[in-house]
Amino acid sequence: MIRDILNLALRLMLVCAVAAAGLGFTYGAVRKNIERMEREEREEGARKALEPAGLRAEEDPSLLEFLRGTIPDVEGAFKGLDGSGTTAGYAFIVKAKGYNFMRLAVGVDAEGRITGVAVVKQEETPGLGSVPAQSEEYLGRYRGLGPQPPVLKKDVDAWSGATFTSGGINSGVRTALEAFERVRAEGGGIPR
Amino acid sequence: MSDDVEKGAGKRGLLRELTKGFITTNPLLVLMVGLCSSLAVSTRVENSVFMGLAVIFVLTCSNIIISLIRRFIPEQIRIPIFIVVIASFVTIVDLTLKGFFKPVYDRLGVWIPLIVVNCIILARAEGYAYSNSVGRAAMDGLGLGMGYTCVLLIMGLFREFLGTGKIVFGERALVDLGSNSMPAILIMFPGAFITFALLLALLQWHKARSKTGEEEG
Repeated sequence: MIRDILNLALRLMLVCAVAAAGLGFTYGAVRKNIERMEREEREEGARKALEPAGLRAEEDPSLLEFLRGTIPDVEGAFKGLDGSGTTAGYAFIVKAKGYNFMRLAVGVDAEGRITGVAVVKQEETPGLGSVPAQSEEYLGRYRGLGPQPPVLKKDVDAWSGATFTSGGINSGVRTALEAFERVRAEGGGIPR
Repeated sequence: MSDDVEKGAGKRGLLRELTKGFITTNPLLVLMVGLCSSLAVSTRVENSVFMGLAVIFVLTCSNIIISLIRRFIPEQIRIPIFIVVIASFVTIVDLTLKGFFKPVYDRLGVWIPLIVVNCIILARAEGYAYSNSVGRAAMDGLGLGMGYTCVLLIMGLFREFLGTGKIVFGERALVDLGSNSMPAILIMFPGAFITFALLLALLQWHKARSKTGEEEG
């Protein structure tokens, strides 16, 4: 009886061990690529969000570490450097809930005004929510708002037929402004 | 069914294992398993291609491995072992797509990990690979995988072309009607059902016609 059980357990364990080894090997082979792709995606978003203000994006892992505990929706943090290399703004990669999940890059300047909003990833309904999420014109309406969190249907119109998506974009922007306030409160003005 | 094919061994038998997946035991149109993912991903030709390749890979590899180790697997724990084998191959596909085909990976989303619970694969492991030789199991996996891919491709072509007026592969549009007033419903969920129903009807019509042909002749 006990030998039967042991026999089954050992066989199952052996299969699992071989499977685990195979997966470990595969992961080792693709890990670098996965990390690079994810970094490029974030950088591209941050670049688009800061570009209108003429700022260059530079990823800052310690800033993300600082924000992550209090604002869990922040997934990436960039410093916006001006021509002389001093920090003149930030870009935050935030996740937001539209009709589906989406990920935005929001650029904020030193005064807390939005420099740009870019959609890093979205899975909104094609033809409905996807329209404002892909419209640079619509995302551009956030430019210059802040540091007061913009209110949907007051500061920015909701896109008709895509209220959830508009709300998602709005909440993403608000998350980014919250992150900015947190950075500003901690360091006073522009920290580091 | 698998038993009497086993008796008619030889090269022709193997070939039949491969071709049966297209029409006679097509997983989607005849067995009607694994429908959920096929309806969800066939919005674009590109998605169909990658999803199809993923399923072919997982189905063939899991069939081969399960057939290879079938004498080592006690009956009581066969299902957990099938799942471990299948899940491993699915994870390999998932990681590879994530590492090298990021845009496709993002679009296919949860449907790749969900291949683990795709009925086609578990059904072939349990119903075929567990009781057949390696060569047959490999052919069976390859054939059914290709049958699945074919249906996905037809659905993808139909839905993407009529729903968006374009066929985009990678970054390039292979075909572009330049129209903005295509019926977008085809690339949404109802379109999947409509397309699938049309395909089913077509197959039934073909069957009915060849049957009456036989009776008359």
